[in-house]
Amino acid sequence: MSREGRLQLAGAALLLLASVALALHGQPNPEQKWAYMAPQYRHLLDERLVYIDPAELLSLMNDDYIQLVVYDVRNERDWNLFHLVDSERMPLESLPGQRDRLLALPENAVVVLVSNDENLATQAWKHLMVIAKPNAYILEGGLNHWLDIYGVAPEDAGGQDQTATVLQDGTMRHPFAQALGDRHAAAQPDEHHFPARSYEKRVRLIKKIAKAGGCS
Amino acid sequence: MKTVSGEQRYWNPYIGGVLLGILLFLSFFLVGHGLGASGGVHRVAVAIEDLVIPEHVDKTPYIAQMAGGDRDPLSHWLVWEVAGILLGGFVSGLLRGRVRLQTYHGPQITPRARWAYALVGGTLMGYGARLARGCTSGQALSGGAVMSVGSWAFMFAVFAGGYGLAWFVRRLWQEA
Amino acid sequence: MAPFDFAALFGETGGYLVYLVIGFCFGFILESSGFGDSRILAAQFYFRRLNVLKVMFTAIVVAMLLIFWSTALGLLDYNEIWVKQTYLWPGIAGGIIMGVGFILGGYCPGTSLVSAATLKIDGMFFLAGFIAGAIGFGETVAHIEAFWHSGYLGVFTLPEFLGVETGVVVVLVVCLALAMFAFFEWLRRTVYGAGR
Repeated sequence: MSREGRLQLAGAALLLLASVALALHGQPNPEQKWAYMAPQYRHLLDERLVYIDPAELLSLMNDDYIQLVVYDVRNERDWNLFHLVDSERMPLESLPGQRDRLLALPENAVVVLVSNDENLATQAWKHLMVIAKPNAYILEGGLNHWLDIYGVAPEDAGGQDQTATVLQDGTMRHPFAQALGDRHAAAQPDEHHFPARSYEKRVRLIKKIAKAGGCS
Repeated sequence: MKTVSGEQRYWNPYIGGVLLGILLFLSFFLVGHGLGASGGVHRVAVAIEDLVIPEHVDKTPYIAQMAGGDRDPLSHWLVWEVAGILLGGFVSGLLRGRVRLQTYHGPQITPRARWAYALVGGTLMGYGARLARGCTSGQALSGGAVMSVGSWAFMFAVFAGGYGLAWFVRRLWQEA
Repeated sequence: MAPFDFAALFGETGGYLVYLVIGFCFGFILESSGFGDSRILAAQFYFRRLNVLKVMFTAIVVAMLLIFWSTALGLLDYNEIWVKQTYLWPGIAGGIIMGVGFILGGYCPGTSLVSAATLKIDGMFFLAGFIAGAIGFGETVAHIEAFWHSGYLGVFTLPEFLGVETGVVVVLVVCLALAMFAFFEWLRRTVYGAGR
């Protein structure tokens, strides 16, 4: 066989080997991908830059300019007991399916993740970063904290101690006699009925780099 | 490993392919998308159109998104990439003495006829490239490398069109 | 993690310069491979020359391997890469029209630029026609609006289509390409003797 023929055969073997090795190695799963991305995004979590105060979430809910997407990542039982108005139930397994929608969100869109405390929502946030890097935040203290503030009926505000005993992390601390879903007053509290909270505004709108490729 | 073609020595296609593949990868790696050409040429055309009949440009949705109002169709990466292609092609030709005012044509037809066919073919290409939302560089190469179904379908459609018509127009290219 | 936003790093002009360099390399490679010559390009469709398919598929396979090895090793973020959306019917229709334009005109858009850059008159005529055709499309697309948006499958990749993993599709594409090259080599030896 000529020298050229041998080189071609070597090249072909190399390509085949590289592709088979790639298939065996596989593409990174979400955990691995987060491990690769962590150096860039870790600090957002460590410095609590993406955790937002319940009052900030409430102001987002009332802001007409912001396109708000609230993902509630809790289980169905907790969801039925109580969830915020206009939130969407989105268990962790369903997040990958949101990819196309997230990538298509406009500049004025903000995603907020809520769970009972912070752990599940933080996990979901990492998943979102791996999937689509949206402009996403986590409700600080989760719905338990939200209900600490807004769960009290307006006329009782400033009085009773609403916090129940500390239960297992990740469960609903506040008791609900009935499954009210988003019909509870705290699902969309009237901010004027509650004392103003001071908090550090964390949400920022990110200018989107126009993604365009190919021949257009 | 250069092969001889008539009087010209061109690169071995596998070498050229490897180099092009590396370039294509670098494009994705550095700027997040593949190569492109037709869009750049189109934008230059639209820019000229915008100079001459700007009101019409503003009213036609497809081009207004590129050049309507204050938008500058030329401030887009494709235009720069096209400029680069022209430059690179020129320098490569210059280094090998291939820059010469001439017409490549099949032996059975005259240069004039070739010009006419080039014009017609180019017009079809211009229309088809916009319809397909890309050309062989953008769709076939770049879209193909990232496994877009539409790009692979496009690629096979181009082959079908070209190979399908080839026999019927063989006089354009073949020896008598 | 790549890719990068060069405009943010180097300013708008810096960003554009990167594209200039990419385009330069592209044009250089095309011309060096003989793609500025319409006779060579057209000869592909008569199986007298096979270098276009060799270059194209080698490039696709090499780029594919490099891209997906990079994503596998966490060097490149797959979600940040632009994958064209699939509009199936206009894509196929446009492709067929381009195939016809290719065999008649002897070029495709990128190669016509290279040809015109080396002062080939047929390349220049092709470009002129291209501009006319593109403008013509802009004027008439409103009439075929429905077709223009038909067959929309979003960002649809082969792994999703075939229901297999990315790595498996890469192996399949490599095998397809290698089989094609082997066929070409066989053609070269049996049908043509040596030397194409």
